[in-house]
Amino acid sequence: MSAPKEKSKVHKLSLKGSSKLVAEFFEYSINSILFQRGVYPPEDFTTVKKYGLNMLVTADDQVKAYIKKIMSQLNKWMLGGKISKLVVVITDKESEEHVERWQFDVQIHGKHTKVLSSRKTADKENDAPGAPEPQAAGTVEKTEKEIQDEIQAIFRQITASVTFLPVLDGDCTFNVLVYADADSEVPVEWGDSDAKEIKDAEKVQLRSFSTNNHRVETMVSYRLAN
Amino acid sequence: MATPLVSTPVKTHHGIFSTKMAGGRMPLTPSPRGRRDSVASNNSSPFTPPRHDSETAKEHVRSVYGGNLSSYFAKSVSRTSRAYRESPKSNIARVRKSPKHLELGASDWSLTGTGPSSTQSPSKERLRKEIPGRTRVGKTTVRIAHNAGDRFIPNRSASEGLVTSGAAKPEENQRPKTSGGDGSSVLASAASAFDIGGRGTDEDLTAALENLGLEDDESSSSYTKPAPDAVAYESSLANACGVNLNTRILAFKPPPPESSKPIDLRAQYNRPLKTAKSQSAQFRRRVQTAPERVLDAPGLLDDYYLNLLDWSSGNQVAIGLERSVYVWSADSGSVSCLLETSPDTYISSVKWSGDGAYVGVGLGTGEVQIWDVEEGTKLRSMYGHESRVGVMGWSKHTLSTGARSGLVFNHDVRIAQHKVAELVSHTSEVCGLEWRSDGAQLATGGNDNLVNIWDARSLSAPKFTKTNHRAAVKALSWCPWQLNLLATGGGSYDRHIHFWNTTTGARTNSIDTGSQVTSLRWSNHYREIVSSSGFPDNSLSIWSYPTLVRNVEIPAHETRVLHSCLSPDGQLLATAAADESLKFWKIFERKPGTSASASREGGVGSKAQMTKSMTIR
Repeated sequence: MSAPKEKSKVHKLSLKGSSKLVAEFFEYSINSILFQRGVYPPEDFTTVKKYGLNMLVTADDQVKAYIKKIMSQLNKWMLGGKISKLVVVITDKESEEHVERWQFDVQIHGKHTKVLSSRKTADKENDAPGAPEPQAAGTVEKTEKEIQDEIQAIFRQITASVTFLPVLDGDCTFNVLVYADADSEVPVEWGDSDAKEIKDAEKVQLRSFSTNNHRVETMVSYRLAN
Repeated sequence: MATPLVSTPVKTHHGIFSTKMAGGRMPLTPSPRGRRDSVASNNSSPFTPPRHDSETAKEHVRSVYGGNLSSYFAKSVSRTSRAYRESPKSNIARVRKSPKHLELGASDWSLTGTGPSSTQSPSKERLRKEIPGRTRVGKTTVRIAHNAGDRFIPNRSASEGLVTSGAAKPEENQRPKTSGGDGSSVLASAASAFDIGGRGTDEDLTAALENLGLEDDESSSSYTKPAPDAVAYESSLANACGVNLNTRILAFKPPPPESSKPIDLRAQYNRPLKTAKSQSAQFRRRVQTAPERVLDAPGLLDDYYLNLLDWSSGNQVAIGLERSVYVWSADSGSVSCLLETSPDTYISSVKWSGDGAYVGVGLGTGEVQIWDVEEGTKLRSMYGHESRVGVMGWSKHTLSTGARSGLVFNHDVRIAQHKVAELVSHTSEVCGLEWRSDGAQLATGGNDNLVNIWDARSLSAPKFTKTNHRAAVKALSWCPWQLNLLATGGGSYDRHIHFWNTTTGARTNSIDTGSQVTSLRWSNHYREIVSSSGFPDNSLSIWSYPTLVRNVEIPAHETRVLHSCLSPDGQLLATAAADESLKFWKIFERKPGTSASASREGGVGSKAQMTKSMTIR
């Protein structure tokens, strides 16, 4: 009984760092999408070195504040492991149609292994008595460099995706959605929403990255040109 | 048979006396049946009940055994071997019936139990819970684990349960058959729930198991269970709808900030990712740093508080040199002396009217004269100030004059009673005064370090009084493309340029120029502002707005630059300095392509176009 407790403690510590990393990734993703998809004019963005790339982040105070507000809450949720998806939806201002949807699926390994482990303990009956705990052997440590390289690859893809994504005509705005656990604490700025899915969307799975605790998969769906 | 069984080390190990005993006895009776039952794997109940019933005291213990044995039998055909293994199973048997045991932490045991144990008498259940704790340890458990593992898989156990319950019926059953049936059905439903809700988290699992456990117990203790069916239904429904019950979709509700302007993505894609700086360097326009022309201005008073230079819309430059006003025609280059004052005074300010036909002249005595330049005649004199009039400004037919006393008068030059307003706020000499191009606001600056912004409709008090400057404010300039933007520059102790939103009164930007700011002029067709400075630089600086980057600094004069004014086409800047020279600078040279009218009136428009082309590249 004491063993799993200890494990969860250790787990929590590394989870914090990992959550921060994932949240940071979200922040840069949102900024990149806003820039790449022309939600805000390019003059509003400045370049920042990050992930070995020149990342574009907004320099507009209002947009900055807006994203900051989102991120502060997101950080809390990430730390609590409450989030399973983050979605950036780009909406046409006039028609109010959702034209593009960037989805980031988050898997927390911690949760994952918990489920597994309960099954494992059951299955363990079949194992030879001396067999090592599967949980312990489960995670392979990843270096920061490897993670950064994976993230870099995603951003390269996001940047490159403008080549196949349809040109967004007209003014667009954006919204951020999260898929949170039902028991999450929800501040007033956040409210229930539909998934804002795109009708007849084409979906493209982009790369993913994983830390020791999280796995993030990226997908963009967009309206097919007629 | 019995004896060898008893002696097996395993049993002794467990150390429960009663169990031992039971173990010893049991084999004898059941053995024959055990074989028959072998198909229905673990039916402990059949044999045990009759006996145990009779022996009330030990009943539970035995019954447990019976369960073990039977299960054991099912697997091992040969008795001898059975005896050997038997003991461990006996332990299992108790535990296994209720899935609840999982939660108790004796998962291994409980798992195995499901099917058969349930058939036994309800009273045992309590015992089971306790017993597993004791019996748990030991090598024997390992073996047991085998069976248990197999059974645990929900589907299987469920089906097993069904089988056993069915099998149990024909034989004598102590406990109600229904309960057995119940258990199995629960299992089944739970199992299906798992299958359906493929994602089911561990909580689901445990919840489901809990349900099962409760269900099982129901026979003995009255428990209200959460209907397992409902759970299964919910999860299947959720699954069908593609919704995960455990998550909710949340949106950040505040609307995102509006984009400042429409964006053409196509242009953006062609843009290299370059820093703004390198871009501005690449596209920084070249500014001539040599004067276009230099004129002598002998006798120019070296007085910061005077305003002795002005360029008319008719392209004529008026300059006050001591007691004379000269007019230089920029078109022809000819100079004429417009007037000369009486020897007891001097020219303290000159200002062209908007149409370029008249020039207002302020004198050291406080007198204000209006001259028709074409005719070379004085139209009128206006009195009122009792000290020198250092600054003037026209707004249509209104001439505002600021005096050393700190008073500002508005004169309607058309009427005899010319003084129409008295603006009282400054407590020291007024040296800066500028009407906004639409005549709705007037900005004044004084030696009291104040900037006053007046609303033309209510001149009894300034709309805003700004105290940020720490020295006299002579330099004032209204932005041509943003009406409510005012730039003000402070004197030698202050050295700052402040930018004001005159609608809200807010200071929007500031520059520390490093030297006395003697004048400010906005460009008509670049987003730039030029400042002239006194000590120590005596230079002209061109600033980009709103980046506030100094694009160029021109060492303009040998002494401080006192006055400046822009040519009507906005390209040339004239500066007069205490070194008694008047210089012309082509600092806002228009690009060859743009027409004069475009640059003057549509200055902002052409400006925007230019920045856009910069963006694209």
